[in-house]
Amino acid sequence: MNRFMIAALGAALASLAPAAALAQVSPIELKGDVKVDTVVVENGKETHVLVEPKLVVPGDDLVFSTSYRNNGATPVKDFVVTNPLPTAVMLAPEGADKLVVSVDGGKTFGALSALSVAGTEGKARPAVAADVTHIRWILPVLAPGSTGKLTYHAIVR
Amino acid sequence: MNRISRLLGTVGAAALTVVSASPAFASGTASGTSITNTVTVQYQVGGVSQTATGASDTFKVDRKINVTVAEVGSTATDVSPGATAQVTTFTVTNNSNAALDFALVAAQQTGGAAAFAGTDSFDATNVKIYVDTNTNGVYDPGTDLEVAYLDELAADASKTVFVVADIPLSLGSTDVATVSLQATGREGGTAASMGGALSQTNTSAANEVDPMFVDTVFADVAGAVDGARDGAHSAKDDFKVLAAALSISKLSRVVSDPFNGTSNPKAIPGATIEYCIVVENATGSATASSVAISDPLPGTVTYDGGGVFLDGTVTSGACNADGTNTGAHAAGVVTGTLSSVAAGETKTLRFRATIN
Repeated sequence: MNRFMIAALGAALASLAPAAALAQVSPIELKGDVKVDTVVVENGKETHVLVEPKLVVPGDDLVFSTSYRNNGATPVKDFVVTNPLPTAVMLAPEGADKLVVSVDGGKTFGALSALSVAGTEGKARPAVAADVTHIRWILPVLAPGSTGKLTYHAIVR
Repeated sequence: MNRISRLLGTVGAAALTVVSASPAFASGTASGTSITNTVTVQYQVGGVSQTATGASDTFKVDRKINVTVAEVGSTATDVSPGATAQVTTFTVTNNSNAALDFALVAAQQTGGAAAFAGTDSFDATNVKIYVDTNTNGVYDPGTDLEVAYLDELAADASKTVFVVADIPLSLGSTDVATVSLQATGREGGTAASMGGALSQTNTSAANEVDPMFVDTVFADVAGAVDGARDGAHSAKDDFKVLAAALSISKLSRVVSDPFNGTSNPKAIPGATIEYCIVVENATGSATASSVAISDPLPGTVTYDGGGVFLDGTVTSGACNADGTNTGAHAAGVVTGTLSSVAAGETKTLRFRATIN
């Protein structure tokens, strides 16, 4: 499960002659996944267990992940992953400050603490995790064969 | 609830801010909502920009059953012995992320601590449940409809429900009848009929379910008379009897006699006597209304025709010469009705007679 193929490129890119061959055989393999972060209390100790999202209700903590792999023979540069948050979830406050996020629908990105949103009576207020609309990761270069996993925690609204 | 409280506990005040800032409904994302995480990747290979998208598998938000029954007013309903159609008020709120029906059951407590103060000591009779049909928060006989369930209560919606009962006679001011209202979630979807019972679909680990299947999870807390995670919630309220506690005393004084006049008069034949009947209602009692007083005069005195004064006052144990002349005398019997005597209030009936 949780597999998908590259949904690839528009006609514009395909029309560029040198790119055409590369476009048809995309070197990047992506794999998305989602798990529910559950807490199991055993002998008074809390343990986090990631389970399949069979049972998900509002308030549940989800872990979304995107695994990537460069299957090509050449390095991939300027690897930019943009992840709009599903509307039914909000970014978990825990660890939100370690991500590059947008609170304006993906127009501008930055650290959450540096962003603000329109509050009541037209005054801007500091943005909080629940305001986040997009997350972005930027990897300067992916060597051939390199893999990684990008994850974030979100709470079902 | 466990999940949420753990989360709040670990991240503290910041998380609370987040919750309050969230525009989401209190009950959360509607059940059946699909969640898919999609990413877009842009990159360059050999100086050529490329794009790819990828998505996680879709799963559906399951149905969380949570209901709150709350007593309105946080105080007992004061009732008089013998009163009919006395009202206690509750609200039923659907905190589930789906529209549901809610079966309503009103029950009498048998003994034990009352909801607010005292001990349950009697049962009200003719207990019925009404919904606040005209949504004015007040029980309107004939307008608000008697119900056995709430029909199609939307997520986050709330209804006011009245438990209406009669109070038996022969009860005192310490008597309390505790009633409970329980609302149990039922399947929604069909208007004007109560849906079937709900059951959790995740009760055993062996019950492997598809992420796309909308499960049912009971997420309610324990109520006054029901347990946690049973798809129901309940609250209690009291009918507290508040009887009037009247004490009556009769005072008399000699006003004048034919020889001494009003100066140190004696109770000799021909002397004028003032009688004053004092009605006192104890502090903390119910207001007594239409207090009828009847005083048959002994054959040794004769009403003097000067008037029967009602609603007079008492100062330092002595009746004042006040009140209104609205009582009556007929055939040796003095009568009058005090319209009301409130708790802690003292009123009098006053008249004069002569000694035969």
